[in-house]
Amino acid sequence: MPSNIIGWARLIAGVLGLSAVAYIAVTGNYLLTALGFAAIYVVFVAALNLFMGHAGQVSFGQNAFAAIGGYGSAILTANHGWPPMLAMLASALLAALVALVVGQATLRLRGHYLAMGTLALGLISYEIAVQWEQVTGGYMGISGIPPLSIGGFAAETDRQVFLVLALAAVLACWSVWRLRRSRFGRAMGAVAGSEEAAAALGVDVARTKVITFVAAAVYASVAGSLMAHAVGYISPEVFGLHMVVVGFTMLYVGGIGTTLGPLVGAFVIGMLPEVIRGFRDVQDLVYGVVLILILIRAPGGLAGAWRR
Amino acid sequence: MPEATLLLQFLVTGAGTGCVYGLVAIGFCVIYNASGIVNFAQGSFVMLGGVVTYSLWHALHLPLAVAALGAIIVSVALGVLTDLLVVRPLWHRRATMFVMILATLAVQIVVERLTLIVVGDAPMSLPPILSRGPIHLGPIVLDTQVAFIFAVSLLLVAGLRLFFTRTATGRAMRACSIDRDAAALLGIPVSRLVAVGFALSAAIGAIAGILVTPTQYTAYNLGVPFAISGFIAAILGGFGNPFGAFLGGLMLGITQSLATVAFGAGTRNVFSLAVLLIFLLLRPQGLLGTAKT
Repeated sequence: MPSNIIGWARLIAGVLGLSAVAYIAVTGNYLLTALGFAAIYVVFVAALNLFMGHAGQVSFGQNAFAAIGGYGSAILTANHGWPPMLAMLASALLAALVALVVGQATLRLRGHYLAMGTLALGLISYEIAVQWEQVTGGYMGISGIPPLSIGGFAAETDRQVFLVLALAAVLACWSVWRLRRSRFGRAMGAVAGSEEAAAALGVDVARTKVITFVAAAVYASVAGSLMAHAVGYISPEVFGLHMVVVGFTMLYVGGIGTTLGPLVGAFVIGMLPEVIRGFRDVQDLVYGVVLILILIRAPGGLAGAWRR
Repeated sequence: MPEATLLLQFLVTGAGTGCVYGLVAIGFCVIYNASGIVNFAQGSFVMLGGVVTYSLWHALHLPLAVAALGAIIVSVALGVLTDLLVVRPLWHRRATMFVMILATLAVQIVVERLTLIVVGDAPMSLPPILSRGPIHLGPIVLDTQVAFIFAVSLLLVAGLRLFFTRTATGRAMRACSIDRDAAALLGIPVSRLVAVGFALSAAIGAIAGILVTPTQYTAYNLGVPFAISGFIAAILGGFGNPFGAFLGGLMLGITQSLATVAFGAGTRNVFSLAVLLIFLLLRPQGLLGTAKT
């Protein structure tokens, strides 16, 4: 039992949050789609958190890897009839390979250079998605993507889709948590603290950064694949700068560098469209303003306030 | 022979775009020198320059010069507001560099989305500012607008040189770029200079946006691509060196133009990025820069 008021507040908030999710899941409410969407973002934001919160690096280009996952899954399943799980795996491998190559070059950069380099990476992936029409369908995107399935079981109803996505979200958070507590995770934390000190302790700094980048790319790619299957349609806009802004807003609202931050942030911000009910233009505006306010007023986010 | 002429023609056009990149790059440097901050909202000034000029000219039927002046004023106001409302609170909290980048990037998004809501997503263009036919220099045809871009850019660069070497404010800004703490100890009002830096940078960015719009088009989402090109130009020139930045811009514009001739318009940005990576790996201090972290 919690011993003080803050402890009780945490318990109550946690129970309320979980029961709201459970209620929506059981009653099959229209909010289920929004919840599923938030669950996909948990996977994406968990990867951002791994790379930035835990390893202390900077990437504004994670949408590029989500695009590889999304387009990979869409093309392989809708156009070539691959089973979804295999397509997801193949896309994630491709994302890992791209991250390995790109990471070798860009992770030598630091600070502003790394930030702008990765931002350019995201922008270029968007341009490729628009320009390479015979493969990506240009602005029109790709439709008719089948739902997720394993063997003979397909997630077809809203509730089944949500369960799969929720499972993915929990797995993502859990695996990042495990990774953070492993030997490699401690090396990551050392690099985040001070690269010189980490190197002095025998950590291979460059290798640690690249591996973390590759791991984050795989999570982002899986999130992209899930997005493709859950919605059944993708276009360049899905993986544009919008995704980066939403991801960062979620990460900072939830609390960067915390275990539950991505989960909390993704669900709080993911439900925001249901509250404001506007067009995407207004949504991004709201996300941007929320992000600025959080950065100025509460840099620790909700999970930061939680811990205090 | 016609091929050589064509190549020369593309060099001239590339240099025109390069001037614009150079101006955007100078905008980055001005803020960076005063504050050590890389302003990721720099592209919004460029975008607003074109979009606000167009809106004032098209919707309110103002003369082009007045509309352009209006756009510069709007941009400067945005620059000062960004400093006061976003940068300064973070500065006082000694926020990390990354938080500063993210916050200014968020400003970029907010401005972009507000613009989209107010003026829509249609691409818009301006008539050439000088209305006369192209200038013929031997076999090369120089578009009047490109000539105008050259003239205004060179004037601006010369003016900035005077500002940084002859005026007290300009000299104080250079002192800040060398050592901010020492400058503060000498009684230089650093935070006021940061505000001046944002205003100046916004004005330069807006002018770049106004200059480039007649040669192509502008829209709410063109800020980020321009910011990335400008940033690359700034690195090529040696970050923090405004005149190097302008040279870097010329170099980038010409590279993009040549890439367009050789491999098609879709490869422009791939080539810019390749140039950036080559520089970062081989000569990270840039053309005119001294190694500085």
